[in-house]
Amino acid sequence: MKRKLLALLLAMSMVVGAFAGCSGDSGKSSSTADTSTSSTTDESGDTASDADTSSDAEAGNTSDANIPELTSDPLTIVLWDISTEDPHKSMMEGAVARFTEAYPNITVEQLHQQNDNYKQQLIVAMSSGQCPDMYMHWGGGPMNEYYESGFVNDLTEMYNTYDHPDFIEAAIAQASYNDMILAIPYGGLSGCDFFYNKSIFAEVGVEVPETIEELEAVCDKLLEAGYTPFSLANSPGWTGSMYYMYLVARHSGNDEFNAAYTQEGSFTSDAFIYAGEKIQDWVQKGYFVEGVNSLSPDDSQDLALMYDGTCAMMLHGSWVTSNMQTDNAEWYSENIGVFRFPEDSEAAAAGVPQDVEVGTAIGNGLSFNCWNDDGSVDQTKLDAGYVLATQYINDDIYNQQQIDRITIPSIEGFDTAVEDPNMQVVAEVFFNASNVQLWYDQYLPANVTEVHKDCMNALYALEITPEEIGQKHDAAMQEYLNG
Amino acid sequence: MTNNTAVCPRLTGRPSGKVMGMKETNGLAKVRARSTAIAATVFLLPTVLLMIVYMVYPIIDTFIISVYKWNGISSDRIFIGLQNWQTLVTDSQFWTAFSHNVIVMVCSIVLQIPIGMLLATFLDATGKKTNLFKVVWFFPYLMSSVAIAFLFTYALATNGGMVSALASIFTGKKTAVDLLGSNPQALYTVIGVMAWQFTPFYMVYFIAGYGNIDTSIYEAAVIDGATRKQYLFKIAIPLLKPIFKTACTMSLIGSLKYFDLIWNLTGGGPNGGTELMATYMYKLSFNQFNMGYGSCVAAGMFILITAIALLFQKIFVVKEDY
Repeated sequence: MKRKLLALLLAMSMVVGAFAGCSGDSGKSSSTADTSTSSTTDESGDTASDADTSSDAEAGNTSDANIPELTSDPLTIVLWDISTEDPHKSMMEGAVARFTEAYPNITVEQLHQQNDNYKQQLIVAMSSGQCPDMYMHWGGGPMNEYYESGFVNDLTEMYNTYDHPDFIEAAIAQASYNDMILAIPYGGLSGCDFFYNKSIFAEVGVEVPETIEELEAVCDKLLEAGYTPFSLANSPGWTGSMYYMYLVARHSGNDEFNAAYTQEGSFTSDAFIYAGEKIQDWVQKGYFVEGVNSLSPDDSQDLALMYDGTCAMMLHGSWVTSNMQTDNAEWYSENIGVFRFPEDSEAAAAGVPQDVEVGTAIGNGLSFNCWNDDGSVDQTKLDAGYVLATQYINDDIYNQQQIDRITIPSIEGFDTAVEDPNMQVVAEVFFNASNVQLWYDQYLPANVTEVHKDCMNALYALEITPEEIGQKHDAAMQEYLNG
Repeated sequence: MTNNTAVCPRLTGRPSGKVMGMKETNGLAKVRARSTAIAATVFLLPTVLLMIVYMVYPIIDTFIISVYKWNGISSDRIFIGLQNWQTLVTDSQFWTAFSHNVIVMVCSIVLQIPIGMLLATFLDATGKKTNLFKVVWFFPYLMSSVAIAFLFTYALATNGGMVSALASIFTGKKTAVDLLGSNPQALYTVIGVMAWQFTPFYMVYFIAGYGNIDTSIYEAAVIDGATRKQYLFKIAIPLLKPIFKTACTMSLIGSLKYFDLIWNLTGGGPNGGTELMATYMYKLSFNQFNMGYGSCVAAGMFILITAIALLFQKIFVVKEDY
């Protein structure tokens, strides 16, 4: 009997272990994650950053600026971001150091969280009353959710009253929800374009395609010459989604997507079916590398296929140029060119705008969670956060550092600032776009995002029809809209 | 000196041979019982407290959250009664994940334990000569799941991964073997990786089992004229039966609550092909802002795993005759 009881207890405790594991996971990840805290005050400012803190005149330029007057009492702001590594780390810490130099009474506690678990860490912090005063995010569905749950201050009035960088319209649109500005963009924009191997194109004798028909003709020629046209690492689904989003956008502009989002339309409408069918046709023709769903972009397996000359092009976010430069700058400058997603000539003839850009204009956003115990806005803290985000992060030094690492700030006038010829093309396309469609997996509500990513896996594996994809999206969207 | 040893236990509350041998008064026995109770309380209290805080409370809280509609961060929790539970019962995604768990469980028991047993038998039979194997074979278990996931992402990649490269050599042309990227092979591939990770654990477990068999049993068997084969099948393996059962129980529970390797290797994909109950729960709770239903899934998992583990215990362990 005792033995039975012991066995039962042991079995129970092992099961319990599963749940203790779950509840402990957050704690574990916060302790094992490569988080590093730096508390930057004026004294520690020198050591907190490698970035240039001396050129105060260039920084902020706050003397005659129209900004809120900050408190002279001691104040501590907790700031969370994902800048665990340089150059981002020293850029952020440099901006904070410049801020605390100007306001020595204010301490900024920066916590750099690992990207992988960041969203989960934030949820745990919010649910346990530990939400930081300022935190980064990527805009879209999660930002709206944070706002609805009471963890975001509305910045509209401050933004309209005080100075701020001249952010591009698309960036402010992606930092807004229900006509309220909820975040200050930073970290630079990313366009989505085709990055292609110029040498392979020249060898096969094909030109950069202007229309989707031309793109298909290019792909056929590349296949004949023994090259796989598209490199794609689709294990997380959002990479394959880029082709889907663009085909939808070229076929219908933003109209059908916007209608589907509100469910006045549907994800089974023409453009979505067209996009799904086109991709499956391309998969069957062998345009994509085999086994796309087993390849991971986190491990740069898509880039590897470009490097070894297996594939001729890849549709990707423009951050990939920075990765390629880091991996092999010489190869990059010799071989890589860029072109925008080709046009749908039939849709163009019917008057559908062909200049919708897929990507992110907000880059990262900084939102604020500054409240008093009675639920009113903690304006003192919010003012300080606003000044930090608009005058120090996003200042000239910060923006120059962005440009140095081939990233374009989401601010007017920076379209010509980058020297990299590919990024100049990216910037030109981006700044001339009629609309910037944020990645579906960030824009859609969280439950729809999961469905979307799963569907994108199934789409490329030919395990689902375009109609079924639409129906699944509709069902998830309905579920979201009906609460 | 004698006096000292007689007095010491009374002061410290520790029994000693000398005291046990002496005739004790009732009062002394009471004092001893009380001090034992105090010592037990002192020693058990931290463990019990930790278990309450980190195990009992989270489980109870999970069940409580499961009757709310809650996104995990908002201060508003809406009580919805058993609505989440009703959804759970008819949620095809959950039951698909559960069926994956059952497949993982069966395959794990069928693969890991026999192979672990075979390896242990080999190492036990060959003795010190194969110590190197013992160390090398144990390596996979020492690696973290994240590292293993990273390793196999590369090994199984269609682009130059080990398997595809080997296939290309054998077929003479470029062949992409897509093991992780399409269904249903993704699930079985993951099961294979899990076996690679956990078989060494059972190997060591069985080696310990063999080590616990008294050498006198072996000597007696040899004297009685048993061959090595007879000793192995008629004596050693039957003696390992209890170890088998514990190993099976551990494998069973481990498979049902499995999370980390799958999460890092496939994230439950492609298209939910390797989704397990735990990955589904995690996605609901932390990616989809649906903590209420995520907790319901966690609570459902708790009930299912406990039920299966108890059933297993009832069927196999109760009949234990060793």
